[in-house]
Amino acid sequence: MRKNSLWLWAAALAAYAFLYLPLLIVVLYSFNDSRLNAEWVGFTLNWYIELFNDTDMLVAARNSLLIAMAASLMATVLGTLAGLAIHRYKLRFLPVLAITPVAMPEILLGVSLLLFFNMVFRPWLGLELGMWSVIVAHITFCIGFVTIVVRGSLLGMDESIFEAARDLGATPWQTFRLVTFPLILPAVMAGALMSFALSLDDFVITFFTAGVGVSTLPLEIYSMIKIAVTPEVNAVSTLLMLLTLGMIVLASRIHGKAFQSTAP
Amino acid sequence: MRFLALLLFGLSPALHAADVLHLYNWNNYISDATVARFEQSCRCRLVQDYYSDNEEMLAKLAAGASGYDLIVPTGNAVESLIKSQQLRPLDKTRLPNLKNIDPAYLDTAFDPGNRYSVPYAYTITLIGYNAEKLRELNLPTDTWAVIFEPKYLVKLKGRVTVLDSQRELMAAALKYLGYSVNDTDEAHWRRARDLILRAKPYWAAFNASSYIKELTVGNIWLAHGYSSDMFQAQQDAKQAGRPFTISYATPKEGAVLALDSMVLHKSGPRPDLAHRFIDFMLEGRNSAELTNLVGSGNPNRAALPYIDPAIAANQAVFPPPAVQRRLEMLRDLDRTQRRVLSRMWTEIKVR
Repeated sequence: MRKNSLWLWAAALAAYAFLYLPLLIVVLYSFNDSRLNAEWVGFTLNWYIELFNDTDMLVAARNSLLIAMAASLMATVLGTLAGLAIHRYKLRFLPVLAITPVAMPEILLGVSLLLFFNMVFRPWLGLELGMWSVIVAHITFCIGFVTIVVRGSLLGMDESIFEAARDLGATPWQTFRLVTFPLILPAVMAGALMSFALSLDDFVITFFTAGVGVSTLPLEIYSMIKIAVTPEVNAVSTLLMLLTLGMIVLASRIHGKAFQSTAP
Repeated sequence: MRFLALLLFGLSPALHAADVLHLYNWNNYISDATVARFEQSCRCRLVQDYYSDNEEMLAKLAAGASGYDLIVPTGNAVESLIKSQQLRPLDKTRLPNLKNIDPAYLDTAFDPGNRYSVPYAYTITLIGYNAEKLRELNLPTDTWAVIFEPKYLVKLKGRVTVLDSQRELMAAALKYLGYSVNDTDEAHWRRARDLILRAKPYWAAFNASSYIKELTVGNIWLAHGYSSDMFQAQQDAKQAGRPFTISYATPKEGAVLALDSMVLHKSGPRPDLAHRFIDFMLEGRNSAELTNLVGSGNPNRAALPYIDPAIAANQAVFPPPAVQRRLEMLRDLDRTQRRVLSRMWTEIKVR
C-alpha cells in the first residue's frame, strides 16, 4: 500500500469512528443492566421490556413516525416540483420562498407558525392545534431541503438528453417519467430521507406547534432530562436507528442506483 | 404487541373518549397508579403533556397555545400567569379537601389568598452528599459552610458541584451570611459574591444537570441541588448496589423552597374535571403516591400516613417546624436588580 492511501485510510477510519462510535455506544448501553449509563454492569433486555410497556413513550414514537412519514412524503413531492420549476423557468421569487425556511432560525419559524395557526386556522376554520399543525410545520421547513438537493442534481445534467427524448417523440409526461425522474431519483431519495430525519428529531418547531396531547419522541425525551435519562431512551433510539437503516436498505433495493452518484 | 396496535389504531386515542382532561405537567410528576384511579373515578381520560422548564411552558402559552385544563407551575411562574390574566379563579366550594393543606404553604406571596393556585408538591434546594466520604473526612453536613468555607473545602477539592443558577447559588450564599434569599441590598450581594469567589477554586463545576449521576457514580462527594434530584441519586445508588449511600440535608441556616401549584388555564375546556382532579390530588393517599415516587416535599397533612416511612423520616422532605420557618421562596427580581445580579454572575464565572 502506498503511503498516500495509508493516510487516506487512517483519515477515513477516524472520520467513520467519529460519526459512528457515539451511536454504537448508545446501542451498547441500551443493553446495560444499570440505569446510570455510566459503566458496563451486565447484559439485559429489561429496557426494551420497559419500553414496550411505556405507553407514553410508545405513543410519542408512533406520533413521531406518523409525522415524519407524512411530512417527508409531502415535502418530497412539493420540493421536487419546486426544484423542477425553479430549474426550468428561472423564476425569481419561488427560490426565495421555497428555500427561506431552511435559513430561518427554528425558534422564529416555530413561534410564527404557532401565531399563524392561532390567528388563521382557529378562528376561520375552527381547527385546534393538533398533529396536523406539526405536520404542516415540518413540511414547511423540509420543502427547502428537498428543493435544494433536486435543483442541484438538475444543474449538473446535460439538457440535450431531455431534448433528445422529445426529439424521439416522447410526450412531456413520458420525458419526465422515463428520463428526468430516473435521473433525479437519487436526489429525490436523498431529499426524502433528509426530510424524514429532520422531522424525526426536530424539537423547537414541534414544541411550539404541537397541540394538546400530541407528544413526539424529542419532546418526550427532552422533558425527561430533568429526572435523569434512563437507558429506555437508548432502547428507543436503537429501534429508531434500525428503522432508518431498514428504510435505506429498502430504498436501495427498490432502486439499486438510488444511492449512487449519477455523474456520467 | 402493543406497539403495533398503537401504530395501527387511530391517530390519537384522545379523539375517541368524550371526557378528556388535559394536564400540562412536569415529566414523571404523577404516579401511574394515581392516574389510573382518577380515570376510574371520573370515567374520563387524563392526557398529559410535559415541559422541563417553567420558562418553556410560559413561552408556549404566551405564544397562544391553548386547550390545557391544568398546569403545575412553580412559584413565580404562577405569578406571571396571574399577571397576564391567563388563569381561571378557583371555585373553592368544589375543593373540600383543601383543608388538608398545611397553612404554612397557603396564602403565598405569589398568590395571596390562593385565588388561583393549590399547592401540589415542593422541592428544597439543599446539599446532597456521599455519606461515607463525609463521615470519613469528618465534615459537617447540616450547614452551607461545607460548600463555602475553605477550611472544609480543602478536604473536598474537586469533589463539589454547585448549581449553575444565579439565583440559587446567590440564595445559598445569602442564607449562609444570615440574609434573606430575597435580600436585594447590593452590599449584601457583594459579600455573597466574595464568599462564592473565595470558594470557587475548590469546586469541580457549576452543574445543573448531571450531578445526580456524578453523585451516584462517586465522582462527586458533595452537591448543591434540589431535594428531588438527591432522592433520585439516593435511589439510583441503592439500586446499583454502590458501596456508599447518598444522603441529603437542609442546612440549618435555611434554604430555598420551590412550591409547585395546580392552576386552571383559561383556555381549558373542562374546568369541571379540573376541579375534580385538584380535589382528588388533595386526598392524602393520592398526594402521598407522588412523594413516594419522586421524593418531593408534601404540603398535604393527610398524606403522612400513606408515605413510605423511610421518606417521611427525612427532614429534607418533611422539614420540622423549626427548619420550615427558615425556608423561603424566591421572588422575582425587577429589571435593574436582574442586571446587577447578571453582572456579578459574570464576574463570578470569569474569575
